[in-house]
Amino acid sequence: MNNLKRRYMAAAPLVIAAEEAESGGLDLLLPETSELIAGIIAFAIIFFFIWRWVVPTLGETLSKRQEAERSKLEAAENTKQEAEQMASDYREQIAGAKDEATRIVEEARQAAETVRSETIARAQQEAEEIMTRARQEADAETARALAEARGTVANLSIDLAEKVVGRSLDRETQLALVDDYLAELETGS
Amino acid sequence: MGDVTVLAVSACDVEGEVICAPTDINELFEFTTPLFSIGGFNFTRTVFLIFAAMAIVLGALFVGLRRQQLVPSRFEIAIESLVGFVRDDIAKGVIGTAHGMRYLPYLLSLFFFLLVGNVFKVTPLINFPISSRMAIPAFLAMVTWVIFVFVGFAKNGFKHYFIDTIWPKSVPLALRWLVGLIELVSIFVLRPITLAVRLFANMVAGHLMLTLLLVSGVLFLGGVGDIGIKAGIGIVWFVFGLAIWVFELVVAILQAYIFTLLSAVYIQTSLEPAH
Repeated sequence: MNNLKRRYMAAAPLVIAAEEAESGGLDLLLPETSELIAGIIAFAIIFFFIWRWVVPTLGETLSKRQEAERSKLEAAENTKQEAEQMASDYREQIAGAKDEATRIVEEARQAAETVRSETIARAQQEAEEIMTRARQEADAETARALAEARGTVANLSIDLAEKVVGRSLDRETQLALVDDYLAELETGS
Repeated sequence: MGDVTVLAVSACDVEGEVICAPTDINELFEFTTPLFSIGGFNFTRTVFLIFAAMAIVLGALFVGLRRQQLVPSRFEIAIESLVGFVRDDIAKGVIGTAHGMRYLPYLLSLFFFLLVGNVFKVTPLINFPISSRMAIPAFLAMVTWVIFVFVGFAKNGFKHYFIDTIWPKSVPLALRWLVGLIELVSIFVLRPITLAVRLFANMVAGHLMLTLLLVSGVLFLGGVGDIGIKAGIGIVWFVFGLAIWVFELVVAILQAYIFTLLSAVYIQTSLEPAH
């Protein structure tokens, strides 16, 4: 109860003040002079401050920020172009390297091919030479053997004929006869 | 806080009543006892709050915009977006890009002064909207009225702005005088009054609700020793009061916006009167 009484007492001066003033809602609708003056002064100061400082500052900030944005965009654009340039350079280099590699491989293959074909050609040539030489030797041997045989056969024939006929023939003439005979045999057979 | 709360209501009989209603509404709004006087000018609590609102507006704008950082802080972003909102949505959006910027200082001043003054309603320790005092809405509505009437005459001339408004050629002759009369009254008389009263009434109602509910809540809960179980009513009032508190915060912001927006609309209609 003590608590309550204190509240009443604290509120008492205001109750009296309210009763002194003209009661009724109309009071609320009428501007209080001191508040009106305060409101006019306060609003005028706010307006002046905003008019002279806020709006100009705002414009500056905005233009600064736009400027910054623009330069940032430009920088980004430049960087992008550089990157693209670098990328295309790299691509070119890589393509160049590929070409180079292909070329080197091709060259190597051609070289190998050349070496191979040269080697084969040389081997064939050598083989041919060897064969030719062998054939010539064989031919020579054959010819020689043939000549020898022919000589031997001729002599033997003459000796035989001499023995059969019993007289010596002109050796030269007889040899010619034998030769003719043999030649006939050769062509005939 | 305790003293202020108690002073805001007259004696409250928590034993006999269910809610602490003031005997006179005026006592919730009139702080007649001056804190001090300068040459007959009474520096009351309301006057102090008016200048406090001014100081907060100046301080917030100064701190929020002074550094002109390319990467602003959170507070700077908040202030900038509020200013940007008034500029883009109200000044440019309503009045137009051509003329909007010319009225931006006035619209910004209106919005920020009213925003702070209205939010005082739900600010702890202050709990009083300065715009619930008729002086503030009446003065600002008068300024808006002077601006849009002046702009109307200056831009369009007496004949085009005034005569065409009260004697609209596009309306049939039989109705012309009636429409003209309605236009005359609505534009030149009702506009400033509705502008002022809309804000004023919203603030008064909000303050009334909050005071009634929260003070009742506190007093009933505080009187638990005397009234016992009946103190439970206090919980209801207090919770209800807190819900209204959130609602009134929205109203405070909304009313600052509406007042500024309508001022812009009135200026715009004066720039290009309907034909």
